Amino acid sequence: MSARRIVFTSGKGGVGKTTTTANVGAALAKSGKRVVLVDADIGLRNLDLVLGVEKRIVFDLVEVVEGRCQLRQALIKDKRLENLSILPAAQTRDKTAISEAQMAGVMEQLSALCDYVLIDCPAGIEHGFRNALAGASEAIVVTTPEVSAIRDADRVIGKLHERGMPVRLIINRIRPEMVRSGDMLAVDDVTEILAAELLGIVPDDEEVIDTTNKGEPVALVPDSRLAAIYAKIARRLEGELVPFTVLSAPSFLERLFRKAG
Amino acid sequence: MINEVVQDEVPATGTVRRPRGRAIVVTSGKGGVGKTTTTANIGTALAVLGNTVVMVDADVGLRNLDIVLGLEARVRHHVLDVLEGKSTIEDALVSDKRVPKLRLLAAAQTREKDDVDTAAFRDLIGSLRDRFDFVLIDCPAGIEKGFVNAIAGADEAIVVCTPEVSAVRDADRVVGLLGDDRTVQLIVNRLRPALVRKGKMLSVEDVNDILHLPLLGVIAEAPDVIVSTNRGQPVALDPASEVGEAYRTIARRITGQDTAAPEIPREKTLFGKLFGGRS
Amino acid sequence: MHGVWNAQGRIFRPGTAADHEAGDTGVSSVRGRGRNLEIAVDRALGAAAEELRAQFAGRPDFYRGSRAVANLGLLEPPAGELAAFRDALAEFGIVLDGVCGGESVAHIAAEVDLAYLGSAQVAEVAALPRKRQQREVRLSDEARSLVADFAGARADMVRRRVSGPSGGAATVVAAAGVAIPLQPRPVPAGVATLYHRGTLRGGQALHNLGNLIVVGDVNPGAELVASGDIVVFGALRGVAHAGAQGDRGARVIALELAPTQLRIATVIATSGADRTKRGPEHASIVDDRIVVVPFAEAELKRESHA
Repeated sequence: MSARRIVFTSGKGGVGKTTTTANVGAALAKSGKRVVLVDADIGLRNLDLVLGVEKRIVFDLVEVVEGRCQLRQALIKDKRLENLSILPAAQTRDKTAISEAQMAGVMEQLSALCDYVLIDCPAGIEHGFRNALAGASEAIVVTTPEVSAIRDADRVIGKLHERGMPVRLIINRIRPEMVRSGDMLAVDDVTEILAAELLGIVPDDEEVIDTTNKGEPVALVPDSRLAAIYAKIARRLEGELVPFTVLSAPSFLERLFRKAG
Repeated sequence: MINEVVQDEVPATGTVRRPRGRAIVVTSGKGGVGKTTTTANIGTALAVLGNTVVMVDADVGLRNLDIVLGLEARVRHHVLDVLEGKSTIEDALVSDKRVPKLRLLAAAQTREKDDVDTAAFRDLIGSLRDRFDFVLIDCPAGIEKGFVNAIAGADEAIVVCTPEVSAVRDADRVVGLLGDDRTVQLIVNRLRPALVRKGKMLSVEDVNDILHLPLLGVIAEAPDVIVSTNRGQPVALDPASEVGEAYRTIARRITGQDTAAPEIPREKTLFGKLFGGRS
Repeated sequence: MHGVWNAQGRIFRPGTAADHEAGDTGVSSVRGRGRNLEIAVDRALGAAAEELRAQFAGRPDFYRGSRAVANLGLLEPPAGELAAFRDALAEFGIVLDGVCGGESVAHIAAEVDLAYLGSAQVAEVAALPRKRQQREVRLSDEARSLVADFAGARADMVRRRVSGPSGGAATVVAAAGVAIPLQPRPVPAGVATLYHRGTLRGGQALHNLGNLIVVGDVNPGAELVASGDIVVFGALRGVAHAGAQGDRGARVIALELAPTQLRIATVIATSGADRTKRGPEHASIVDDRIVVVPFAEAELKRESHA
């Protein structure tokens, strides 16, 4: 059975593609699926950092394409989840190092080995973006509820539709209190502007900064509110109809006395 | 190729030889760290100080500088139109009613970065340097053709970096690519002193331990920035904004009016949070 | 003098192996069998001839008087190319006696008067006469190729990581899917040390056949690969691979040793999460593991290594 190959893209940088790819992958692996995460950001690799495997990289995607190693040799197994592996990008190269055809070839090989191939796309819509798309058959667009991010997401969705790729949306870093004050677009506004099916809504949470620095995906932190949300996203990907969590803004007093950490 | 005179508050080129303007590219590697906001605000602050400034959006296909400045409705022509001769620079420059000495040259939205010829872009920046005191170039994320074009005309660079490991890695890569011929300085953006104290965020020292760059400024995370971005009102115009003040100080450092070492923002006390400025 | 910067920020020392990307080369190894040589050819015979010329140009008499056999693997070159290859070898006084390879090679060989020696043979280890003996070097199964292909050592590392230290396969499947029998090979004598002053940024790499000295920091995301020792007069935070062709006696020395990953020959280690700053340190292989000691206590003498 061939794997589902999903690219995580956004257009705008910094909206949380890499973090989202890592956490959705971790959530899927936790639920028993075999997942391979692919970092397509050649030259600016970060997926390895977010997962904490940067010290274990021996071979990378470019070397697989160039035939200097076998695919299996480049895959790094996650130590926490046996169903999760990652194929890191090269750091000392740039995105012209591989072609769309080569990328598609490697993704093809990978899809024989697992249930899900999740591809972390670089920012922008240049060569790297096209490479990342070449290996995928579905797309998840990650955006934040800010005007510039939405504009870029819109552009990207247009390009994805040109390729006939099904698109679903994850809205990241939503801050309910800012929605309330009108300084951030509400979920409905975003989905209306982008006209894409909603896959998940992830609140802004400073936990993510810390877990990223430590290389521990928040999806694996027990009792974490974000972990629960990523778990729901994983279930929706699997086809389940899961209601969205209602996010409420903490009251003034809650914010004042909110515990550290 | 281009020989127009730019009007309004920008003096015409005449027989007086002006010193050539400075071309500074604002870059980062990683997306989302605040390049565009920084370009917009430094540009605005420099113009308020009395310098003539043109800001160039080099993010073809994903333009945002115009939004952040609130000028998107006034864009008639963009960089590619100028490069292809479909518009004069004059017609493409968007002026800002709030800040007379400021101009914007917007990117094309429906084109690709591959469409821009690097040499032509460099020449354009050169022409702009002859007319303005400062040419600020907003660089796209990444290190692909868009980046190569954006840095082409600039001999100075400002690297914007947030205190996170991935941002530092990407910034380091970019500094390596900028090479030894450019003057490169660092702005650390979106610092959260409370998290640094708790050990959950890198400190400015941690960042510069890797980057080894002269520090131009440090800006704390503040919610008013998102608000201002959404509304098209650069914080540098808001006298009550601390982030605005940080950008104004950076502008003074750039012109040499301020030579003090950059301050690292401190954690707000509870008292400060309740009654001081924005939350 | 140090090298050339290209658009990707990679530094090459002109004329070293790092100039070749894997797949550009034709020759994968030259091995000795007594006074004889076995030359294994990877892809293109034409490219192989060029490469040999370039390699031997510096010391044209090194192999003079040797006899050689070419191992063509699965290649089926046109007869003309095979003749040209033989002539290229003859320029350096090497007589090509015959070829081994697939059955189809037999008639090609006959056309140019070369013996067909059957399918690929496994050469024995032999000492080649060396002009200047620098040190005794024992190489792993994976170290191969006239061009510094450092990937072999890494393949060994990955295999060991996955399945434990292996006595495993005698062959590694290389780029073109051609199986190449592996044998240890001596490091060419007279290699130089590359000296670089300046900090290496993420994405930059220095590769050298010989030793490597960097005065400056090596940032995370930067890569140092050397067949000899690596010395960093600064903070080493990137990836460093010393003894990259299999020299287990190679060392890594740094003012601040905090690498993302440290490799010596085919042994790999990462630094722990401990961020305390220690002074200058020295890393080497002891009993099959990488051991790090304060520099003052380091054993710097050359000893033979297990």
